[in-house]
Amino acid sequence: MRGPLKLVVSGPVGAGKTTFIRALSETAVIDTDVAPSEDIGKDSTTVAFDYGTLHLDGLPLHLYGTPGQDRFDFMWDILCEGALGLVMLVAGDRPQDFPRARGIFEFVTSRHAVPFIVGVTRQDLPRVWEPEDVADYFRLPYAHVVGLNATDPMDGARTLTRLLELVEPQGHSEERAV
Amino acid sequence: MTSTMSKQEVLSSTLAALRANLPELKGVLVATADGLPMAQSMNAGTDANRVAAMAATALGLGKRIGDTVGNGVLTEMSVSGTDGQVFFYAAGRGVLAVVAPAGMNLGLLLMEARDAAANIATVL
Repeated sequence: MRGPLKLVVSGPVGAGKTTFIRALSETAVIDTDVAPSEDIGKDSTTVAFDYGTLHLDGLPLHLYGTPGQDRFDFMWDILCEGALGLVMLVAGDRPQDFPRARGIFEFVTSRHAVPFIVGVTRQDLPRVWEPEDVADYFRLPYAHVVGLNATDPMDGARTLTRLLELVEPQGHSEERAV
Repeated sequence: MTSTMSKQEVLSSTLAALRANLPELKGVLVATADGLPMAQSMNAGTDANRVAAMAATALGLGKRIGDTVGNGVLTEMSVSGTDGQVFFYAAGRGVLAVVAPAGMNLGLLLMEARDAAANIATVL
Protein backbone atom coordinates (compact mmCIF):
# COMPACT_ATOMS: atom_id res chain seq x y z
CA MET A 1 0.00 0.00 0.00
CA ARG A 2 1.21 3.46 -0.86
CA GLY A 3 0.11 6.58 0.98
CA PRO A 4 -1.23 9.60 -0.85
CA LEU A 5 1.05 11.17 -3.43
CA LYS A 6 2.13 14.72 -2.69
CA LEU A 7 2.07 16.96 -5.72
CA VAL A 8 3.03 20.64 -5.79
CA VAL A 9 1.40 23.25 -8.01
CA SER A 10 3.61 26.28 -8.63
CA GLY A 11 4.03 29.14 -11.09
CA PRO A 12 4.01 32.94 -11.23
CA VAL A 13 1.25 35.23 -9.93
CA GLY A 14 -1.96 34.80 -11.91
CA ALA A 15 -0.98 31.49 -13.55
CA GLY A 16 -4.07 29.79 -12.05
CA LYS A 17 -2.61 27.71 -9.20
CA THR A 18 -5.39 28.34 -6.67
CA THR A 19 -8.03 27.99 -9.40
CA PHE A 20 -6.49 24.70 -10.55
CA ILE A 21 -6.62 23.23 -7.02
CA ARG A 22 -10.15 24.50 -6.37
CA ALA A 23 -11.37 22.95 -9.62
CA LEU A 24 -9.87 19.57 -8.76
CA SER A 25 -10.17 19.12 -5.01
CA GLU A 26 -12.83 16.76 -3.64
CA THR A 27 -12.46 18.30 -0.18
CA ALA A 28 -12.85 21.93 0.89
CA VAL A 29 -9.68 23.70 -0.21
CA ILE A 30 -7.57 25.19 2.56
CA ASP A 31 -6.31 28.47 1.17
CA THR A 32 -4.34 31.39 2.57
CA ASP A 33 -5.52 34.20 0.31
CA VAL A 34 -5.20 37.81 1.35
CA ALA A 35 -5.95 41.07 -0.43
CA PRO A 36 -2.83 42.26 -2.28
CA SER A 37 -1.46 45.66 -1.26
CA GLU A 38 -0.07 46.34 -4.74
CA ASP A 39 -1.60 46.02 -8.19
CA ILE A 40 -1.01 42.45 -9.33
CA GLY A 41 -3.98 42.26 -11.66
CA LYS A 42 -6.31 40.39 -9.27
CA ASP A 43 -7.92 40.82 -5.88
CA SER A 44 -6.36 38.02 -3.86
CA THR A 45 -2.97 36.38 -3.50
CA THR A 46 -1.68 33.27 -1.69
CA VAL A 47 0.73 33.89 1.21
CA ALA A 48 1.32 30.37 2.56
CA PHE A 49 -0.25 27.63 0.47
CA ASP A 50 -3.41 26.09 -0.94
CA TYR A 51 -4.22 22.52 -0.08
CA GLY A 52 -6.70 20.16 -1.68
CA THR A 53 -7.16 16.42 -2.09
CA LEU A 54 -8.54 14.19 -4.81
CA HIS A 55 -8.47 10.68 -6.22
CA LEU A 56 -7.26 9.99 -9.72
CA ASP A 57 -7.98 6.46 -10.96
CA GLY A 58 -8.35 5.45 -7.29
CA LEU A 59 -5.00 6.95 -6.36
CA PRO A 60 -5.20 9.47 -3.47
CA LEU A 61 -3.45 12.73 -4.30
CA HIS A 62 -2.64 15.70 -2.09
CA LEU A 63 -2.20 18.99 -3.94
CA TYR A 64 -0.15 21.82 -2.43
CA GLY A 65 -0.25 25.16 -4.23
CA THR A 66 2.60 27.61 -3.63
CA PRO A 67 2.50 31.40 -3.44
CA GLY A 68 3.46 32.96 -6.78
CA GLN A 69 5.38 35.99 -5.60
CA ASP A 70 9.17 35.72 -5.36
CA ARG A 71 9.35 36.98 -1.78
CA PHE A 72 7.67 33.73 -0.71
CA ASP A 73 10.37 31.55 -2.27
CA PHE A 74 10.99 29.88 1.11
CA MET A 75 7.52 28.33 0.73
CA TRP A 76 8.46 26.85 -2.67
CA ASP A 77 11.32 25.07 -0.92
CA ILE A 78 9.22 23.92 2.08
CA LEU A 79 6.31 22.67 -0.01
CA CYS A 80 8.50 20.78 -2.49
CA GLU A 81 10.08 18.77 0.33
CA GLY A 82 9.03 15.16 -0.28
CA ALA A 83 6.91 16.02 -3.31
CA LEU A 84 6.59 13.31 -5.96
CA GLY A 85 5.64 15.67 -8.76
CA LEU A 86 5.51 19.32 -9.72
CA VAL A 87 2.88 21.05 -11.86
CA MET A 88 4.38 24.30 -13.13
CA LEU A 89 1.59 26.55 -14.37
CA VAL A 90 2.16 29.50 -16.71
CA ALA A 91 -0.54 31.75 -18.17
CA GLY A 92 -0.48 31.26 -21.93
CA ASP A 93 -1.56 34.86 -22.54
CA ARG A 94 1.23 36.33 -20.38
CA PRO A 95 4.55 35.55 -22.05
CA GLN A 96 6.05 38.43 -20.05
CA ASP A 97 5.75 36.09 -17.02
CA PHE A 98 7.70 33.23 -18.65
CA PRO A 99 11.11 34.37 -17.28
CA ARG A 100 9.59 34.46 -13.80
CA ALA A 101 8.24 30.93 -14.30
CA ARG A 102 11.69 29.85 -15.39
CA GLY A 103 13.11 31.41 -12.20
CA ILE A 104 10.69 29.46 -9.99
CA PHE A 105 11.34 26.28 -11.96
CA GLU A 106 15.12 26.60 -11.61
CA PHE A 107 14.84 27.48 -7.91
CA VAL A 108 12.79 24.34 -7.22
CA THR A 109 14.54 21.85 -9.48
CA SER A 110 18.01 22.90 -8.26
CA ARG A 111 16.94 21.91 -4.74
CA HIS A 112 14.54 19.02 -5.37
CA ALA A 113 14.90 16.42 -8.10
CA VAL A 114 11.18 16.21 -8.77
CA PRO A 115 9.39 15.04 -11.93
CA PHE A 116 7.45 17.91 -13.45
CA ILE A 117 4.97 19.00 -16.03
CA VAL A 118 4.41 22.50 -17.38
CA GLY A 119 0.75 23.47 -17.75
CA VAL A 120 -0.03 26.36 -20.09
CA THR A 121 -3.28 27.86 -18.76
CA ARG A 122 -5.96 30.03 -20.34
CA GLN A 123 -6.26 27.83 -23.43
CA ASP A 124 -9.88 29.02 -23.66
CA LEU A 125 -8.65 32.44 -24.82
CA PRO A 126 -8.40 33.16 -28.56
CA ARG A 127 -4.85 34.54 -28.48
CA VAL A 128 -2.72 32.28 -26.32
CA TRP A 129 0.61 30.46 -26.55
CA GLU A 130 0.32 26.82 -27.63
CA PRO A 131 1.95 24.20 -25.37
CA GLU A 132 4.42 23.32 -28.16
CA ASP A 133 5.60 26.93 -28.36
CA VAL A 134 6.02 27.09 -24.60
CA ALA A 135 8.00 23.80 -24.71
CA ASP A 136 10.30 25.38 -27.30
CA TYR A 137 10.65 28.51 -25.15
CA PHE A 138 11.63 26.49 -22.06
CA ARG A 139 13.58 23.96 -24.19
CA LEU A 140 11.56 21.08 -22.78
CA PRO A 141 10.39 17.85 -24.44
CA TYR A 142 6.81 18.22 -25.77
CA ALA A 143 5.68 15.42 -23.40
CA HIS A 144 6.42 17.73 -20.45
CA VAL A 145 4.12 20.55 -21.56
CA VAL A 146 0.31 20.48 -21.74
CA GLY A 147 -2.32 23.12 -22.42
CA LEU A 148 -5.27 23.53 -20.08
CA ASN A 149 -7.98 25.74 -18.73
CA ALA A 150 -7.37 25.82 -14.95
CA THR A 151 -11.10 26.21 -14.23
CA ASP A 152 -11.87 22.91 -15.98
CA PRO A 153 -11.56 19.82 -13.73
CA MET A 154 -11.28 17.54 -16.79
CA ASP A 155 -8.29 19.54 -18.01
CA GLY A 156 -6.80 19.44 -14.53
CA ALA A 157 -7.23 15.67 -14.27
CA ARG A 158 -5.65 15.24 -17.71
CA THR A 159 -2.68 17.37 -16.60
CA LEU A 160 -2.18 15.31 -13.44
CA THR A 161 -2.52 12.06 -15.39
CA ARG A 162 0.25 13.18 -17.73
CA LEU A 163 2.41 14.12 -14.72
CA LEU A 164 1.80 10.73 -13.07
CA GLU A 165 2.87 8.98 -16.28
CA LEU A 166 6.16 10.84 -15.93
CA VAL A 167 6.38 10.14 -12.17
CA GLU A 168 5.62 6.41 -12.22
CA PRO A 169 8.87 5.00 -13.65
CA GLN A 170 10.91 6.98 -11.10
CA GLY A 171 8.49 6.11 -8.29
CA HIS A 172 9.08 2.41 -8.87
CA SER A 173 12.86 2.70 -8.94
CA GLU A 174 12.78 4.73 -5.71
CA GLU A 175 10.68 2.04 -4.06
CA ARG A 176 13.15 -0.63 -5.07
CA ALA A 177 16.01 1.43 -3.70
CA VAL A 178 14.25 1.70 -0.33
CA MET B 1 -3.13 61.63 18.75
CA THR B 2 -3.26 59.26 15.85
CA SER B 3 -5.78 61.31 13.91
CA THR B 4 -3.19 64.01 13.22
CA MET B 5 -0.36 61.59 12.37
CA SER B 6 0.25 59.87 9.05
CA LYS B 7 0.22 56.06 8.90
CA GLN B 8 3.98 56.06 8.52
CA GLU B 9 4.43 58.26 11.59
CA VAL B 10 2.22 56.01 13.71
CA LEU B 11 4.05 52.89 12.55
CA SER B 12 7.49 54.41 13.13
CA SER B 13 6.66 55.91 16.51
CA THR B 14 5.00 52.68 17.67
CA LEU B 15 8.03 50.61 16.70
CA ALA B 16 10.40 53.14 18.25
CA ALA B 17 8.44 53.04 21.53
CA LEU B 18 8.47 49.23 21.50
CA ARG B 19 12.23 49.24 20.98
CA ALA B 20 12.74 51.80 23.73
CA ASN B 21 10.54 49.94 26.22
CA LEU B 22 12.10 46.56 25.41
CA PRO B 23 15.74 47.25 24.51
CA GLU B 24 16.65 43.53 24.50
CA LEU B 25 14.49 42.92 21.40
CA LYS B 26 16.37 41.81 18.28
CA GLY B 27 13.94 43.47 15.95
CA VAL B 28 10.43 44.69 15.25
CA LEU B 29 8.67 45.01 11.94
CA VAL B 30 5.29 45.84 10.42
CA ALA B 31 4.32 44.22 7.13
CA THR B 32 1.22 44.14 4.95
CA ALA B 33 -0.91 40.98 5.11
CA ASP B 34 0.65 40.02 1.75
CA GLY B 35 4.19 40.30 3.04
CA LEU B 36 5.58 43.70 2.08
CA PRO B 37 7.54 45.60 4.76
CA MET B 38 6.01 48.92 5.83
CA ALA B 39 8.18 49.89 8.80
CA GLN B 40 10.99 48.08 10.53
CA SER B 41 13.75 48.27 13.08
CA MET B 42 15.68 45.02 12.75
CA ASN B 43 19.16 44.29 14.08
CA ALA B 44 21.89 44.01 11.45
CA GLY B 45 22.12 40.64 9.77
CA THR B 46 18.37 40.02 9.49
CA ASP B 47 16.74 40.47 6.10
CA ALA B 48 13.66 42.61 6.78
CA ASN B 49 12.08 41.75 3.41
CA ARG B 50 12.29 38.07 4.25
CA VAL B 51 10.89 38.51 7.75
CA ALA B 52 8.01 40.57 6.27
CA ALA B 53 7.11 37.80 3.82
CA MET B 54 7.42 35.14 6.53
CA ALA B 55 5.25 37.20 8.90
CA ALA B 56 2.49 37.21 6.28
CA THR B 57 2.90 33.48 5.73
CA ALA B 58 2.85 32.77 9.47
CA LEU B 59 -0.28 34.83 9.99
CA GLY B 60 -2.02 33.30 6.95
CA LEU B 61 -1.20 29.81 8.15
CA GLY B 62 -2.10 30.67 11.75
CA LYS B 63 -5.53 31.84 10.62
CA ARG B 64 -6.22 28.54 8.87
CA ILE B 65 -4.99 26.51 11.84
CA GLY B 66 -7.21 28.61 14.10
CA ASP B 67 -10.19 28.08 11.78
CA THR B 68 -9.61 24.33 11.82
CA VAL B 69 -9.68 24.04 15.59
CA GLY B 70 -12.29 26.76 16.18
CA ASN B 71 -10.04 29.43 17.66
CA GLY B 72 -12.11 32.41 16.54
CA VAL B 73 -10.32 35.48 15.23
CA LEU B 74 -6.54 35.14 15.13
CA THR B 75 -4.71 37.53 17.45
CA GLU B 76 -1.17 36.22 17.49
CA MET B 77 1.14 33.38 16.58
CA SER B 78 4.54 32.55 17.97
CA VAL B 79 7.60 30.54 17.00
CA SER B 80 9.94 29.46 19.79
CA GLY B 81 13.45 28.07 19.73
CA THR B 82 16.31 27.48 22.17
CA ASP B 83 17.77 30.91 21.50
CA GLY B 84 14.71 33.06 21.07
CA GLN B 85 11.13 33.63 20.06
CA VAL B 86 9.23 35.47 17.35
CA PHE B 87 5.71 36.76 17.90
CA PHE B 88 3.41 37.69 15.04
CA TYR B 89 0.40 39.88 15.83
CA ALA B 90 -2.58 40.56 13.61
CA ALA B 91 -2.72 44.36 13.35
CA GLY B 92 -5.60 45.54 11.19
CA ARG B 93 -4.71 44.75 7.58
CA GLY B 94 -1.09 44.22 8.60
CA VAL B 95 1.09 42.10 10.83
CA LEU B 96 3.50 43.09 13.60
CA ALA B 97 6.55 40.86 14.09
CA VAL B 98 8.51 41.02 17.35
CA VAL B 99 11.82 39.14 17.49
CA ALA B 100 13.00 38.40 21.03
CA PRO B 101 16.08 36.68 22.45
CA ALA B 102 15.73 33.85 24.98
CA GLY B 103 15.30 34.85 28.60
CA MET B 104 13.30 38.05 28.11
CA ASN B 105 10.60 39.24 30.48
CA LEU B 106 7.74 37.69 28.51
CA GLY B 107 4.96 39.23 30.58
CA LEU B 108 6.19 42.70 29.76
CA LEU B 109 6.86 41.77 26.14
CA LEU B 110 3.35 40.39 25.58
CA MET B 111 1.73 43.45 27.16
CA GLU B 112 3.82 45.95 25.20
CA ALA B 113 3.53 44.06 21.92
CA ARG B 114 -0.25 43.67 22.16
CA ASP B 115 -0.60 47.37 22.86
CA ALA B 116 1.63 48.15 19.89
CA ALA B 117 -0.42 45.85 17.65
CA ALA B 118 -3.64 47.57 18.78
CA ASN B 119 -2.07 50.95 18.06
CA ILE B 120 -0.96 49.86 14.59
CA ALA B 121 -4.42 48.43 13.88
CA THR B 122 -5.93 51.90 14.32
CA VAL B 123 -4.20 53.11 11.14
CA LEU B 124 -4.15 49.91 9.03
